[in-house]
Amino acid sequence: MSLLKLVQNNTKSAFFRCNEPKIFLISSRKLSIVPSIYDGEDPAPKFFSSGIQILLKRLTRPDFAKVFRKRNNSNISVLRTPKYKFVTDEELRMEKLKADKSADRLLQMPPVVKVHKPIDDVLSIDPALIGYDSAKYLFTDISFGVDNEHRTIIERDPDGTLRSCDHAERKRLNQGRKIREPLIFQDEEKFHSLLDRLQYEYVLDRACVQYEPDEPTYHKLTSITYQHIDLKSMYDLLRSTRHFGPLAFYLTWHKSVDNLMLELLQSADVREAVLLLALRQALHGDLSSGEESSALVSQILPTPVQLTKKEQLSEEDIQLDTKCIECVDKYINTNSAMKSQQGLALQGFREHYQQLVELSRGLKKAHGAA
Amino acid sequence: MASKLLALRSLISKPLNLIVNQTPQKLDFVYNLKSFSTTSVSNINFFNKLPAEKLWKSVTSVSNAGAKKGRGKGAGRIRIRDLNRGQIIGVGKVNMLWPGLSAPVIRGRELLKQQRLPDDPERMEKLIKLRDSMTKFRRLKLSPIERGWSGSRMPGRSIGPPDPVVDEEFTGFDTKVLQLRSLLIMKGTLGRTRNYQAMVVTGNGQGLAGFGIGKAKEAPAALRKAKNRAGKKLMNFEIYDGHTIFHDFFTAFGKTKLYVQKKNKGYGLSCHRAIKEICQAIGIKDLRAKLEGSNNLQHIVKAFFIGLLQQRTHQQLAEEKKLHLVEYKAENQNYPTVVASPEYVRTKEEIPKDETLDFIQYVMNDRVILRRKKFPRFFQTMPHYEIYLKKYEKYRNHEKIRLNLKAEYGEIKSFLNDKYPEPKEGKEE
Repeated sequence: MSLLKLVQNNTKSAFFRCNEPKIFLISSRKLSIVPSIYDGEDPAPKFFSSGIQILLKRLTRPDFAKVFRKRNNSNISVLRTPKYKFVTDEELRMEKLKADKSADRLLQMPPVVKVHKPIDDVLSIDPALIGYDSAKYLFTDISFGVDNEHRTIIERDPDGTLRSCDHAERKRLNQGRKIREPLIFQDEEKFHSLLDRLQYEYVLDRACVQYEPDEPTYHKLTSITYQHIDLKSMYDLLRSTRHFGPLAFYLTWHKSVDNLMLELLQSADVREAVLLLALRQALHGDLSSGEESSALVSQILPTPVQLTKKEQLSEEDIQLDTKCIECVDKYINTNSAMKSQQGLALQGFREHYQQLVELSRGLKKAHGAA
Repeated sequence: MASKLLALRSLISKPLNLIVNQTPQKLDFVYNLKSFSTTSVSNINFFNKLPAEKLWKSVTSVSNAGAKKGRGKGAGRIRIRDLNRGQIIGVGKVNMLWPGLSAPVIRGRELLKQQRLPDDPERMEKLIKLRDSMTKFRRLKLSPIERGWSGSRMPGRSIGPPDPVVDEEFTGFDTKVLQLRSLLIMKGTLGRTRNYQAMVVTGNGQGLAGFGIGKAKEAPAALRKAKNRAGKKLMNFEIYDGHTIFHDFFTAFGKTKLYVQKKNKGYGLSCHRAIKEICQAIGIKDLRAKLEGSNNLQHIVKAFFIGLLQQRTHQQLAEEKKLHLVEYKAENQNYPTVVASPEYVRTKEEIPKDETLDFIQYVMNDRVILRRKKFPRFFQTMPHYEIYLKKYEKYRNHEKIRLNLKAEYGEIKSFLNDKYPEPKEGKEE
């Protein structure tokens, strides 16, 4: 544990020395998760591209009942009586649009950007000032209208060097959040106990509050959380929250989509499976069924979000779904790592789907005859 | 012959005892052997002449006229005590063993004999204590759960479910007394007669409830009548979400006016105690009711029931208005949920200009509740108040700071304390 603390404390210096990705092993009681950061390529341009944003939004499957649930950490101290209104159809539509907008705001994904580079530019070295004072001097530009990120903050060390301040000191001076880190992020035991208790949303929200998205600690914490979720296949806990997008992006970036794919197939969501494939294609472009999936996406997106299982299918639905099934089948045979399990799941889904098709076709005939 | 001898013997032994024993001075009686008198040893005295009942009656009785006026029924009256209580035949001032009476004749193989047992010195005190507890008018003490609205009075207390009718049992029902009063009426033949009137509400907490009034000469009888009547007159009420009414309303009965407001979960029942009992019987958990005008209890109950019966469910409201009914909850970030939709929805053009579209106004039948203006507190208009606020600003946040410091560092200290530790208290002295 002491070695770990040493490594943690010297993260900064480690980054100075070598640009290769450093992997720090953190062993928990049962799982050993390796936090892998977005090293190498910058994920930001890909993350913010509109196509991928649409895909991620669709994958989160926003369920308004969960998005607008009662939260304990909201600022209302006392419950209030509900208010009622009589509305026409038109006004109802306007209200729904407003609700969509606020849902978008609530589901705004925390950005995925690469880890910030340590600031290390020395402005001047004046050894003549050695011994002047034992304290560091910090100079901040307090002109109005300048963003906190772009503010000039420089320090004069006791040994006379004038340099730009590092990110940690900048953060402290910009008076953003509490100086002290919460215990859950300092103590590994506590952090892992929270994850074992499946409190993913709380951990991710807290990390968002405490850290900027370009800090190495933030990346480390989120990567451990995402991997934990992946191992336990507990994706449903994060669905309809703002963290599902970055989770899906992370898994696809690091090419470990198979668990998610399996879960989607087991819950009979072929369309979202195809969306996932399209995402993979967009990020890496190494799928054999890549173009097909991208083409299907444009057909899937207009259809409404499927929250509950469908009982009746229309002809267009059936055609679309069959195409999706073929696409997924191709993927399983070529690129998947969990072939057998996914194959089984797909088989099960095929049978179930066949029954549904027969049922709906039969019903239609009956209605048509009557 | 033998008896004569025995008689002589007794005559002799006594003076012998006198001489031999030298008994104390208490014995100052003189045996009068010369002249004799017949003193009657009477077994009958005042207390034996009549049975206990008659004796007691003579002490405590009240005349007929007095009884009609209700005299001799309150706290001052003397109670009849049964003096036999606490005493067993065979046990008395002198504690003796009487075989055949208070003990068996043969115990095992032994033939018991009459013998004197050790005295119980506290026997008299025990008896007195027992008799004292019988006399005083004890105030009936109820546990807080059984207690009604006040003391040991009936209003607010529960009297169980109504009596089962032919084949129907009132499972899950509980009745509460709302009113129990004694009425006096003047009759031509009897004069003043006393009647008890009880008002009772019964319900099962699932939407079924009813109230009933009963009159009888005795209080328990009146309660029973009222209870059964309430059981016969049950009404079904629909409850929104299991805890409150569908919308605010206003009702009146006589000069009693009620403004009732629907409230959110967890608000509780902020209303007149009678309305509270009714709500608990029905199953409403959150409500606010403001009483105005007369507070005649029967009118309040009737007004409230009328108002509940006149309530419209959300579906009915939507049908009346032919518009969607949308609910906004603050804890759900005011997300609009459609609660009820009519079959045909009107468009904007079809709505006349002067129609009340505001939900509360429509539901209260265009009545508007007066919201009183809140005037500043008496100290806020005083001259020094602003200066006080400016001074208070310095330490307004100190409580929170102390809490935060205790949470972070375990005690109240500055972050500089690690570098520049404070000198210890003891050393300073």
